[in-house]
Amino acid sequence: MAIITISRGSFSMGRLVAEKVAERLGYDIISREILLEASRHFNIPEIKLEKAIHDAPGILERYRHTKQAYIAYIRSALVERVVNDNVVYHGLAGHLLLKGIGHVLKVRINADFEKRVAYVMNRDGLSEDEARARLVEDDNQRRKWTYELYGHDPWDSAMYDLTIRIDRLSIEEAVGFICKAAQSSGFTASERSKQNLKDLALACHVKAELVADFPNIGVTCEYGNVIVYCKAGDRGGAKLGRRLDELKRKLAGIYSVEMHSGVPAPPDAV
Amino acid sequence: MSIIIISSDSRNVEEEMAKRVADAKGFDIVDCRVLEDVAKDCNVDPGILEKALENTPSILKKMPQARWRYYLSCIEAEVLERLRRDNVVCWGVAAHLYVIGVSHAMKVRLISGSARRAASIAELQGTSMNIARKWVDDEEKRRKKWSLSAYGIDETSPSIYDLVINLDQIDPDEAVGTIIEAVGYRKFRPVTYSVKCLSDLAIAARVRAELLRSMKDIRVQARDGTVIVFVKGSGREKVKKSRAIKEIAGKIDGVSFVEVHVKRNITDAEGMESPDRSRYPGWPVIGKTSHDVDKAAN
Repeated sequence: MAIITISRGSFSMGRLVAEKVAERLGYDIISREILLEASRHFNIPEIKLEKAIHDAPGILERYRHTKQAYIAYIRSALVERVVNDNVVYHGLAGHLLLKGIGHVLKVRINADFEKRVAYVMNRDGLSEDEARARLVEDDNQRRKWTYELYGHDPWDSAMYDLTIRIDRLSIEEAVGFICKAAQSSGFTASERSKQNLKDLALACHVKAELVADFPNIGVTCEYGNVIVYCKAGDRGGAKLGRRLDELKRKLAGIYSVEMHSGVPAPPDAV
Repeated sequence: MSIIIISSDSRNVEEEMAKRVADAKGFDIVDCRVLEDVAKDCNVDPGILEKALENTPSILKKMPQARWRYYLSCIEAEVLERLRRDNVVCWGVAAHLYVIGVSHAMKVRLISGSARRAASIAELQGTSMNIARKWVDDEEKRRKKWSLSAYGIDETSPSIYDLVINLDQIDPDEAVGTIIEAVGYRKFRPVTYSVKCLSDLAIAARVRAELLRSMKDIRVQARDGTVIVFVKGSGREKVKKSRAIKEIAGKIDGVSFVEVHVKRNITDAEGMESPDRSRYPGWPVIGKTSHDVDKAAN
């Protein structure tokens, strides 16, 4: 009973591995559907969400906070979807979007760069230089995105539980590793970690509802008690208070809502 | 019949896990105990070799670069020789940085997590978490700098390992089970070609170690007993150096032919690395020059 996120560079066979892991464990598999769900729920064109999760924020976006808003929508849709466990997610940034949940097995699949180049050349009929340039650009965007939004390097193996170099193993062997790790005691969903996930889902939902108007807020939730952190002297304080009251009535599972103005948000706040 | 090379951000974890894997598989261990034999060969104190494995060269620490490279090359030669015996678990001698292109050598990195390490250091030494955290960060930077200077490879990069296991949530017993299972996979079994690659690496390392006794900036490639040596030199010393190298290298077991390339400048972009790699594709290269140290430091 675990949630597995599989992160990988482009053309690293991560999708195939994810499909086989899901098949072997009888888990659901999700990836791009999350964008569709977020698009439908928050009424944002899917293309914008896709761009938000793929490209690093530009200079203007850093001020407009649009990217943060889109990522809040995607995160909310993802957490909502995995809350019932037994899921393999192989979309982008799963290890970051589900950070802090005990029973999430975070896997990274790496492949030899030269083999990736050969694969792209073969698949898309590109020259070696074109294939190389495409992969370098893709990897740079990934690295920049993760740095800008989360301050991490996606290639940093400390962020994952298991990092596998796929070109020295067969797909089946890599799948075997992942399944074995997912079934180990460290990734069994405990009551506590299930509750953490429910709380995360609620916090993400509240953040997604508010982020368009209040991009700088931080939200935490513990056993349904939601705390919203905002800047001191924020002129929108009264408006935020009203929105929180509305949300308390609208969203199931919220017991109480508090607004902490001028208090820095804790590191685990969404 | 395989080689397991274990590396970790924590020496204690590295040692403990290597022992557990070796016990479970009935393999021998190659670790820093080899330094005693190397020290006898080099006629130095084993402590100096330990320092060479820990620190980058420094005049203040009485470890000039030429000596540092020589000591490392001696360690490398001895470790590669021992790895040829197979069924070995190796740790603590930086083998993950110079055993390259040997398909039956499985490289595993175990991450114990900087937070956990800081907590254990704070507890052991009775210091604050902030001090312990800073110590761990400095230690990580130092190791990274060392690996880049010595072999031009960042040892924290996951791309050099077959498997990286984070012990934060994965139980050490399960990690041991995973390593044992993985080493049984077909791709980590020795085949004629991979055994030959390791032999070639070992011969190249032995030749380089012998040459670095009296010279510097040496690179060596070896295949089937043929050894190609690249060395910096110009003018009149070309012939003299070439003759000396042939004499020293020719005496080493397993060397049947020696080819020497003496170049005026082996450090520029048109220097030895890329053209020679293309001239002898697939030949293992042993040795970094002083230029590589500067490049890595920058």
